[in-house]
Amino acid sequence: MKRSTQQLYTERILSVLVFIQRNLDEELSLEEYARVAHFSPYHFHRIFRGMVGESLHEHIRRLRLERAATRLKRTDRTVIEIALEAGYDAHEAFTRAFRTLYGCSPSHYRRDKSVAFALGPVGVHYEENGSMNHLQLPLGGETMEVRIERVEPMLVVFVRHVGPYNQVDTAWERLCTRLGKDGLLGPGTKFVGICYDDPDVTPPEKIRYDACVTVDSDFVAEGDVGVQTIGGGEYAVTTHLGPYNTLGQTYAKLLGQWLPRSGRELRSEPSLEFYLNAPESTDPEDLITDIYAPLEPAL
Amino acid sequence: MAPTDKIDLSKLHKDQYAAAKKPVLVTMDEAVYLTVSGRGAPGGPEFTDKVGALYGAAFTVKMTRKFAGLQDYVVSKLEAQWWLDGDGHDFANVPKEQWNWRLMIRTPPIVEQRELDGAVHKLLQKGKAPCADQVKLESITEGLCVQMLHVGPYAEEGRTICVMSAFAEQQGLTLHGRHHEIYLSDPRRVPPEKLKTILRLPVGKKGA
Repeated sequence: MKRSTQQLYTERILSVLVFIQRNLDEELSLEEYARVAHFSPYHFHRIFRGMVGESLHEHIRRLRLERAATRLKRTDRTVIEIALEAGYDAHEAFTRAFRTLYGCSPSHYRRDKSVAFALGPVGVHYEENGSMNHLQLPLGGETMEVRIERVEPMLVVFVRHVGPYNQVDTAWERLCTRLGKDGLLGPGTKFVGICYDDPDVTPPEKIRYDACVTVDSDFVAEGDVGVQTIGGGEYAVTTHLGPYNTLGQTYAKLLGQWLPRSGRELRSEPSLEFYLNAPESTDPEDLITDIYAPLEPAL
Repeated sequence: MAPTDKIDLSKLHKDQYAAAKKPVLVTMDEAVYLTVSGRGAPGGPEFTDKVGALYGAAFTVKMTRKFAGLQDYVVSKLEAQWWLDGDGHDFANVPKEQWNWRLMIRTPPIVEQRELDGAVHKLLQKGKAPCADQVKLESITEGLCVQMLHVGPYAEEGRTICVMSAFAEQQGLTLHGRHHEIYLSDPRRVPPEKLKTILRLPVGKKGA
C-alpha cells in the first residue's frame, strides 16, 4: 500500500527524534540532523518546529532535563553529576531550568516519594531505550490559507547581511538609497528577503540574509551591490500578518503542518519573503509579508 | 531634535494622524504634499498608474536626499481627496468613472521643487513611471476639520460620515470642501472589514 506524504514526513521526523534520543550528549550541527531526516538544511528546522511543536534546541534541552529527572529517581549519582550530564556546568543554572520544567528543585524531586516521574507539556518524551514505538507527534489541527504560485525568474540587486536578523534594516537602507537615488524604485519594484538561516536556531552572528530589490534585465551592477536571479518554479505561498519577529510561527505552520498534508516536497533552496509594506511607516501588527516556500515539481 | 534624526510627520503631527474612534476637531494649517490628480474609479488603470508614479517620486526624492547626506524622513502614508463635479457629495449615486481625486503623500517642507524635478527626470529616464511628470509639490490648507477613524470597507464609509456630520452639527458647523482619506491599511492583503482609514472632512461655521 502506498503511504501518504504525511506518513512519510512523520516517519522522517520520528527517525530524527530517535536519533536525537540516542545521541543526546552529542553537540551536532543542524545539517547532521537534517541529513538523518532527509530534509534540505534550508527547511529542516522549520518543518521540525512545526511538526514537533518546539525548536530543536528546546527539544534537546527538555529531553536532557527529563533524562536528568529519571536519573535523580533511579540512580545514586549526585545532583551536580546529573547536572553536568544534562549539559549544565553550574548547579544554579540546572536548578533553575529544572524548576521551570518540573516546578520544584532537583533535590526535592529526588526526595519526594509522592512525585512520580513527571513529564513536560510537549508530546515527545525521553525514552530510556530510544525506541520509535512510543513516540507520537502532536496533532496540528489548524488550517491556513496557502496558494501555489509559479514565479518567473527575477533579476534582483542585493546586499548581503550577516548578523542578527533584527539588524537587516541596515542592508535595506544601503540598497534602497543606492537604487532610489537613480530612480530605480518604481511602481513594480518588489522587495524580497532571502533567509538562508532560521533565526530560531542559528546563532545571531551567523545568520545570512540577502536584501533584494527587483530590477530590469539590463541592469548593470557596480560598487558594493551584487546581482542574482531568484525565483523560477512553483512556490507554496502564505501571508504573514504582523511583526517580523513572529514570522517563525507562520513558517512552522506552513512547513510543519500544511506541507506534510500537501503531498509536495520542498526544493533545496531558501524560502523567500516578499515585503508588501514599509516597516518605517507601518505599525508592527500591520506589517504584511508573503512567505514563498520553493516546491519540487508536482508528481 | 538632532539634525540626524529621521523626521516622521505622523509622529510630529500626532493630533492630525490620530486614529480617533469618535469624531474630533483638528485644525489643518498649511501642509506640503507630493500630489497627483486624476479622475475615475479607485483601483482603475489611471488610478493605479498614478499611485505608482507618486510613490516612485516620493521614494526617489527621499533616497536622493539620503544619499547626499541631507535630512532623512519617513515617507508618509498615502492620502487622497475626493470630490464630484459641481458641489455634490453624493458619491454613492455618481458613477465611479466621474469621481475626481488627488492622491497625496505628506512631505516635510524642506523638500524643494528642484528635488522633485530631478526625481521625475530620473524616473522618466529609467522608464519607471510614465506619468511621473504629473506629480506636483503642493501646499494645502484645509483649516478646521472633523476627523474620525473608519474601520471597514471603503463602500461603508457612509455610516462613519453620518456620525461625523451629526457631530459637526452639534458644534454648529457644516461640512464643506473635499472628502479626505488617510489610508492606514493596505487593501491588497487586509480583509475589507478590517481596513483602517482616517476620514477628514473640512467644516465651516453654519451660514458663513
